[in-house]
Amino acid sequence: MTRTLPDGTVTAAVPAARPADPPALDPPAAQAAALAVRDVRIRDDVNDREIVHGVSFELRPGRAVGIVGESGSGKTLTCRAILGILPAHFAVSGGSIEIVGRDIAELTTPQWTDLRGSTISAVFQDPASYLNPSIKVGAQIAEVIGVKTGLRRRAARRRALELLTAVHLRDPELVYDQYTFELSGGMLQRILIATAIAADPQVLIADEATTALDVTVQAEILDLLADLRERRGLALVVVSHDLAVVAQVCDEVLVMREGEVVEHGSTADVLYHPRHEYTRLLIAEHEQYGLDRYLAGEQRKELDSVH
Amino acid sequence: MAVSTADHAVVADPGVALAAARARRGAGRVLVTLARSVAIFVPVFLVATFLTFALRSLSGLSPAHIQLGESATPDAVARIEHQWGLDRPFLAQYWTWFTNILHGQLGTSWTNGANIAELISNGLAVSLSVVVLALIIGVLFGFGLGTLAAVRRTTWIDRAITGFLTVFSVMPPFVVGIVLVTVFAVGLGWLPAAGYVPASVGTWPWFTHILLPALALSLDPMADVARQLRSGLIAAYQENYVTGAIVRGLSPRRIFLRHVLRNGVGPALSVLGWRFPTLIGGSVVTEWIFGLQGFGRFANDSAQAGDVPAVQGVLVVSIVLVVTFNLIVNIVLGRVTPASQRGV
Amino acid sequence: MVRRVLALPTGRLAVGVLSVIALLAILGPTLAPHNPLGTSALTLTGPSWKHWLGTDYLGRDVFSRLLAGSRTSVLGSVEVALIALAVGVVPGILSVYLGRGFEWFTLRIADTLLALPFLIYAVAVTALLGNGIPQAMFTVGVLVSPLFYRVTRAATLAVARSQYVEAALISGASIGWIARRHVWGKVLPPVAVALAQTIGVGFVVVSSLSFLGIGVQPPAPTWGGLLASDLGYLSYQPWAPIVPALLIMATVWGSNLLADAIRDVSGEAGRALLNSRRARARRLNPAEPIPAGGAAR
Repeated sequence: MTRTLPDGTVTAAVPAARPADPPALDPPAAQAAALAVRDVRIRDDVNDREIVHGVSFELRPGRAVGIVGESGSGKTLTCRAILGILPAHFAVSGGSIEIVGRDIAELTTPQWTDLRGSTISAVFQDPASYLNPSIKVGAQIAEVIGVKTGLRRRAARRRALELLTAVHLRDPELVYDQYTFELSGGMLQRILIATAIAADPQVLIADEATTALDVTVQAEILDLLADLRERRGLALVVVSHDLAVVAQVCDEVLVMREGEVVEHGSTADVLYHPRHEYTRLLIAEHEQYGLDRYLAGEQRKELDSVH
Repeated sequence: MAVSTADHAVVADPGVALAAARARRGAGRVLVTLARSVAIFVPVFLVATFLTFALRSLSGLSPAHIQLGESATPDAVARIEHQWGLDRPFLAQYWTWFTNILHGQLGTSWTNGANIAELISNGLAVSLSVVVLALIIGVLFGFGLGTLAAVRRTTWIDRAITGFLTVFSVMPPFVVGIVLVTVFAVGLGWLPAAGYVPASVGTWPWFTHILLPALALSLDPMADVARQLRSGLIAAYQENYVTGAIVRGLSPRRIFLRHVLRNGVGPALSVLGWRFPTLIGGSVVTEWIFGLQGFGRFANDSAQAGDVPAVQGVLVVSIVLVVTFNLIVNIVLGRVTPASQRGV
Repeated sequence: MVRRVLALPTGRLAVGVLSVIALLAILGPTLAPHNPLGTSALTLTGPSWKHWLGTDYLGRDVFSRLLAGSRTSVLGSVEVALIALAVGVVPGILSVYLGRGFEWFTLRIADTLLALPFLIYAVAVTALLGNGIPQAMFTVGVLVSPLFYRVTRAATLAVARSQYVEAALISGASIGWIARRHVWGKVLPPVAVALAQTIGVGFVVVSSLSFLGIGVQPPAPTWGGLLASDLGYLSYQPWAPIVPALLIMATVWGSNLLADAIRDVSGEAGRALLNSRRARARRLNPAEPIPAGGAAR
């Protein structure tokens, strides 16, 4: 079920040591959905239009769902609705969202604060902007740990350093004391992931998390996400305009277009037996640009396993 | 920075080299901030003092006319100008004057031959008392009002505060001063209308005498700080890192205190820096209204008397005050929002 | 742009206030019912049918002095703004194009002028250079010119570094054409904002100077001078400063309001304003979501 990237250089960079905490996942919980989205509709009050016309999916612990679509297809709004951070003038106008069995429509602000970070979290495109430019990045991770788990300063710091190691950053001691403007995009995305998983959430939403990064860094980040999913039982929602990105990490794919889910199925089904014309178009584009690398890799892996 | 370095040496095992690197980095940041500020303010100081010195040549005034009157003979004028060294080449005079300033010597008055540095330092105690109190009032209330307006924005509280700030900001200090005198001194009789009592005589009398002028001066920076803080905080709330903090599950209170306030305070701090000259300038007017023998009053009197060295002395002192204040603001800014310091 | 400013309620208010003040400045001296300099035995009287605002310590009609003084006070601030414009805009644009040396030099001058406590400088320079209105206006104008320098420089930089100008250059457009077509449209709104602001600032400085008796010869009336003479007689006429103070505040307020209105219609903010109004009209509950964490609902 899990695919590892057939990318030798990346795996070589992964340090062997990692914190020995087992994934926060007990078997009965694995049966219940970590996240259930049912026929969610979102409307824009400025133009009085419905933007998202019913999205449904269910996510179990340790699984990964991908949402693919061009910009403006409503995939980011869906994520924001799940996180309860829709922009001004947008509202969920139908359907329901449940996070570990709790309907988010009934959550109060303190309940939301409790839930976010420790149960559900997210990373985004342009990681630099999602971190505070005036606080050292390490301190921002330690802050989440301190607030969410009640660890003392010293302990929170040690834990943050462990997390920086866990997201495969070389020299975590040095990175800890740096500001966002002193770090590269790939490093920042790793740090953002570290802050997001600092309080051991069950669900992580990655909204275009690899979009602005160059190809090798992108592959490394995806590998990291797959790794976290495997080791911690993290359930992933991976949102991207790039089918290849989603295919690399997810078991299940939703293809969105103009607020509509036009295709929904297992990754293999969607890739090899696309039913909707738009999906076919996406795949056709990828055969020219990115996806062939993935397909070729898949073949190579099969060859490897033969040997 | 030094503290965190010490902290590290304990935590990090392989860390001697690392700790050293970090110490260098920390010290480096402060040094960069300082160097940047100095690079800005040294030219400012040079240009400003040059302009100040050039005033004498531009004005065509001479001590001879003050001492001898308009009917002086050319010989007498030349003799006196020679005594003052005014017949030397312009740049030579400038150089002497400038090096004297660096040694804290501001020369002697044309009208009475008194030591200008002494005259100014007498007035400075008065003026600084007022200006510092005005700054404290302005910053305290400005921060309070600005934060309140930003947190309660689009409510009636916000609108009321914004309305008050608008009124404050369109009231020139001399209008505020007159209103305050009319209400609190003449009308209610609560506070003295004019005069100054040194703090050595008594803290309370000293405070009551500088309260009204300080209030008159404080409204301007108060309105500025509050408005900048309000828009700075609102802008900071729009930033992605706030969304990031929300998603990480930090409480609204924590987000405000630790993330928004820190970044939103930048514009308010820098506006305070470049409003400081206006505050110093405003003291000319308030000291006139409240009958304070401060340094603004001294500037006004010397200018009207045509006492060029005295005026130059006041101007130099005011430049030094402004430059020092802005250096402090820049260093504070560098600590609070390090990102703003990497060249804009 | 004028039409868009007038479409805003605050814009109309600002233009209204400033027009009244401008009318006062133009017609004021001729409308004065008494000789503003004519003294009489009736000193420090209260308002009456003959003297609407009473008389001052020399028995001069305050209302006439107010009207007569309006021209000096208002024209002064306009003059300051225009001088600042002339001194600031050209180096602002040139600093982008004339190379690093010129850029560095003008930037340092602008920094310096901004750092000067300009009321003290205005007092000093005006008094030393011969205590006349033109000296005062010129000094103040030069001292506030960095605002124009910065604004035009920022706008010009934004345009000069933008890709559409590069594209125009590559496709062979002349510099003059680009300046007219692109630079002007971008530079004009911020300059208009700065102009409105400067009129306000200039007005405060000019009235402060005239309050101190600098730049005016004694009997000539100005609004600041009126206030200064009221100060000595507050215990007899505590209400006397009200009218000149209100006029000064109205002028400053009008120009600030105008600056805000221009900024609103020419920027991003204007659109946001419009959007939220429309959304609020649509939505039934009028409460705007506060993005202070928590749920957006």
